[in-house]
Amino acid sequence: MAGGEFPAVTDRVTQDGIDAYAEISGDFNPLHVDPQAAAASEFGGIIAHGPIALHAFFRSATTWLGSDALPPGSAVKVTYRAPTRPGDDVTCEVREQRYAGGDGATEVDAECVKQDETVVVSIKAVLTQP
Amino acid sequence: MSGTAGDTPALSNIAYDDLVVGERMGPYTETVSHDMAARLAGPIGEPQDVDAVPPAAYPILFLKALRRSMGGIPAGSVLAKQELEFHGVLAPGSDVSIVTWVGDKQVRRERPFVTIEFDIRDAGDRQIVTGRKIIVWPTGPSEESV
Repeated sequence: MAGGEFPAVTDRVTQDGIDAYAEISGDFNPLHVDPQAAAASEFGGIIAHGPIALHAFFRSATTWLGSDALPPGSAVKVTYRAPTRPGDDVTCEVREQRYAGGDGATEVDAECVKQDETVVVSIKAVLTQP
Repeated sequence: MSGTAGDTPALSNIAYDDLVVGERMGPYTETVSHDMAARLAGPIGEPQDVDAVPPAAYPILFLKALRRSMGGIPAGSVLAKQELEFHGVLAPGSDVSIVTWVGDKQVRRERPFVTIEFDIRDAGDRQIVTGRKIIVWPTGPSEESV
């Protein structure tokens, strides 16, 4: 059973990780995998797939729950705010954690932030007990 | 529309005007392999032993269904929001079927927002995850349709 504070999880964004995500997802958008094409884009260089910025939250939540999956009844709402790039360190920071009621669900407000404190994703989640 | 994975383009060219709200596409069958589940549980690409499919797999399943239904996310689009509701736990190595449809499209503050819905079920038709992507589409409505 989950309890206590969420563990701090930091993910280093690397080109190897982006390439692995492209391979797993089949998303080989040049913005993610082609340095020359990405450099010529409005982003001026490689950016990671959006969900990579969310990964630290999922890892933090599953570690806290002690479960590989999010249990039935859980829900996650994500707002993407800024891109991440190779070399960024993305940390999941929980802003507020509330016990939602008798069913053991916990409401969580969290942000994934870069090393310069730029918020890359905002998250509102309800996590039920495994 | 139904089928198996094929050589679909990475990026869609579907115009905002051509998106039909409510038109269901799929089901598309995908396998969540042990390898895929393992590589998404810890740091991306670094396999970990898992007994259940981790949450990071579902945005990828959304993406795979989107690619098969409309050729992927259009070039120049911006993923603004994503929502997931978890209804069941999936074992690695499972097949899933995914249905997707345009849930809504509207212009807000001069930006064309498109909501794409997803329904992921296991081989026994048990609902596993539902959710949606809210995307700022690269093109808005044509002058004729405004």
